[in-house]
Amino acid sequence: MQTHPYLRAYLAGAFLPTLVLPLLLTVFVVVRIVLKVPVPIEQAMIFPMAVVPSLFGLWNMLWLGSHAHTGAPIGLHGAMLPLLMAPVGGWVACSLGVLQFQSHGMVWFAAVHLPYALLGLGWLAALAGYYLVWKYIVGLLNRVLGIA
Amino acid sequence: MNSHNEERMKKLLRQALPRVEGQPEPARDLWPAVLRRMDAHPAAPPLFDWALLAGLVAFAGFFPAAIPVLLYYL
Repeated sequence: MQTHPYLRAYLAGAFLPTLVLPLLLTVFVVVRIVLKVPVPIEQAMIFPMAVVPSLFGLWNMLWLGSHAHTGAPIGLHGAMLPLLMAPVGGWVACSLGVLQFQSHGMVWFAAVHLPYALLGLGWLAALAGYYLVWKYIVGLLNRVLGIA
Repeated sequence: MNSHNEERMKKLLRQALPRVEGQPEPARDLWPAVLRRMDAHPAAPPLFDWALLAGLVAFAGFFPAAIPVLLYYL
């Protein structure tokens, strides 16, 4: 019987972003349509909708295929994902006008000003967040689906 | 395999494998211990993970403007 472990790995990886996306869409509807806040959230939704779930699934497939050789725990593997996602997400955001670099810092969504000094701290927060998400949520799903 | 070869194979196997000394079976039934371990609650997260979570919460508390950016990547 074919057990399709890589398909299960993809589904386990894509689960969390797919779950979070409707919540983000709800926030989008409230902020943009109900409150009529002039923030270009439509462009900002493209990366979380089109790229992040697939990237999570593919990253989990990569872990399944490689951890027998590397022995890397899934939390550490997940914490490496921002190394790929940060530049890709930043490039997409710049291309769509969601992110602008200015002399004093970055401007996200034409509304959120973040100084460059915060970049290192934000990077550490992203690593920590991804480590915890992958260790406890994706790892749990992998065990439930019988691939870890 | 004829009977001669079979006897020879048995003899070679007896020579190769060490004789089990003493009681060949465990003194007690190990299966209940396996079941207890399977039913046991998972271990609590290590202190390091709690510290990371606390750091994340503190970051979000001190810099709430960064929350949408973090959500953008999730």
